[in-house]
Amino acid sequence: MKYLIAEDEKDLQQSIATYLSHDANLCETASDYQEASEKLELYEYDLVILDINLLTGSGLDLLRNLKKQHKKCGVIIISANSSLDNKLEGLDLGADDYITKPFHLAELNSRIKAVLRRGQFGGSDSITFHEIRMDTFSRSTYVNDKPIVLTRKEYDLLLFFITNQGRVLSKAIIAEHLWGDDSDLLDNFDFIYVHINNLRKKLTEEGAKYIQTAYGSGYKFIAD
Amino acid sequence: MVAAINSLQINNSTKNKTRLLRKVSKTFLVTSILIMILSGIALFIYTRSLLLNEIEEELYSNKDRVERLLESNPQIVGIPPIMMAEKTNIAQKNILVDTLIYDPLQDEVELFRQLSGTKNINGQEYKITVRAMVIESEDILFAIVLTFSTIIFFAFIFLFYLNKSRNEKLWKPFFVNLEKLKSFSLKSDQTLHLSESNIIEFDELNKEMLVLTNQVQVDYRNLKQFTEDVSHEMRTPLAIMQVKIDTLINGENINEGQFEQLNSLQSDIQRLKQLNNRLILLAKIDNHQFTENETIFVNEMLTQSINNFKEITQTSINLDDNHELKIVMDRTLASVLLNNLLTNALKHNLNNLPISVLIYERSLQVINDGTTALNHPENIFDRFYKESKKPDSTGLGLSIVKKICDYYGFVPSYRFEHNKKQHIFEIDFNEKK
Repeated sequence: MKYLIAEDEKDLQQSIATYLSHDANLCETASDYQEASEKLELYEYDLVILDINLLTGSGLDLLRNLKKQHKKCGVIIISANSSLDNKLEGLDLGADDYITKPFHLAELNSRIKAVLRRGQFGGSDSITFHEIRMDTFSRSTYVNDKPIVLTRKEYDLLLFFITNQGRVLSKAIIAEHLWGDDSDLLDNFDFIYVHINNLRKKLTEEGAKYIQTAYGSGYKFIAD
Repeated sequence: MVAAINSLQINNSTKNKTRLLRKVSKTFLVTSILIMILSGIALFIYTRSLLLNEIEEELYSNKDRVERLLESNPQIVGIPPIMMAEKTNIAQKNILVDTLIYDPLQDEVELFRQLSGTKNINGQEYKITVRAMVIESEDILFAIVLTFSTIIFFAFIFLFYLNKSRNEKLWKPFFVNLEKLKSFSLKSDQTLHLSESNIIEFDELNKEMLVLTNQVQVDYRNLKQFTEDVSHEMRTPLAIMQVKIDTLINGENINEGQFEQLNSLQSDIQRLKQLNNRLILLAKIDNHQFTENETIFVNEMLTQSINNFKEITQTSINLDDNHELKIVMDRTLASVLLNNLLTNALKHNLNNLPISVLIYERSLQVINDGTTALNHPENIFDRFYKESKKPDSTGLGLSIVKKICDYYGFVPSYRFEHNKKQHIFEIDFNEKK
């Protein structure tokens, strides 16, 4: 996949690019409005990660131009402004998702994958990792084509793991992904532990041992 | 809190305050009654002494006349009881006395003023007594004082009403502007419009008031804007910190201890993010950005929230929903209100004992167990007020509850039930606006 990251904060831009390149994706970057605008006109991208407040112009204008040109490319807006109006304006203009700073790279990645999976941008409803196959349309999971029954949280968890395969995920990141802002209610992460354990058990029964512990308290989804 | 104290003081102090016009009228009334009494007494004393002098002068001149008559005609005996002359051997000086004498003409005892003294006429001592009736002068005295009092009484009544209506007219611009000032809100964007006055002091007061309110309004707006701006500006650096830590965690060369450190940094960032979100929420409520009012079925919304919480807490939540509670408000704010109440109860609950949520016709109670009452229950809804030392608390949850309640005129309250050792938070949804 080919991504364009239009973000004027270099640190943020580079970190996103590094994280996303991990999956053999091609990441290009743009640091201001002009650069982003030029690149969007010259090249085709599968997905653009767009900061609304670019130093020299508004990301929303870029989005408008993009939609005028009828380019088939997914757009995820990142913004420091959480207000609903801003969000709605972005989505009305045709953005596929909206993520508010600060965010975890794993979360951004999972949003990107979800946008790509919606099919229009060269992805598909189904996601495969070795013998595991997940159908995101019917929300069903198969191991070696044999359906396994997962709870809602287990399903979300597995999807999050496969999307961020090979990356270290702390319990806090997982909690935030699964429960959003409510996750700060958690006094400890026992609940996640329960969900992960159940998922691990169900996968292991079918011979899929991919959930590994990393650094004692984190997790990593990886094939040996 | 400060506002609460202030209003308390104001309430206390208004108890022994009177209205301006009433006070002025009262002063006028007291003064005029005092003046009336004093001037009546003075008039009485003065007129009386005047009348007495008059009588005495008359008595002396009558005595002189009798003496002169005696010189030409020693046989005169006078006209009893008014004038009398008789021969005597003892010389006597003039004496003035009051005396009661029976007047056969009127058949009653009358008060007379009497002057008596001896006079040597042609070698013979004569005792001469002259008298004058006092009663007549007293009548005159009372007539004068009464007339005066009546006139002055009506004059004062007239002046009183004149004064009152003049005062009302004079102070009218002041009262009109006072009402305007009372209905003035810092939070609204409308500036204060005071009615003009041709009285210099009132005009000056108006000008000062306008300068003051405008300044305060601008400051308030700036402060609000500042909170929101800062909160938004904080997010980009937070985002950079977070993604850098994410990158580090996924790097090659870290050990378990470093991972723990990085994780703890992540949770600090998460706390800042929560704090930030809540500050922005508070600013948004202040800016009236939640206007999508709709009917909220509290029972339904609570059931949903409780189900969500079940996934992440071992504490069970008992819902008593015998009543159907419907309120009109913004859906987002309603959800924040209920969630914050539940979150607060869950966070400060004792030993995972169950939490109770009770729905009444127009109110809602959230109850959790505790050990002791709060030290400062009056501060419980203040920003950043924390009674427990829970590190993950932002200290904003309940102040958001208060802010939302204030916005809609609901009344939040807290009390500790000593018998059952329970913290009880209650929201009264009867609008007090």
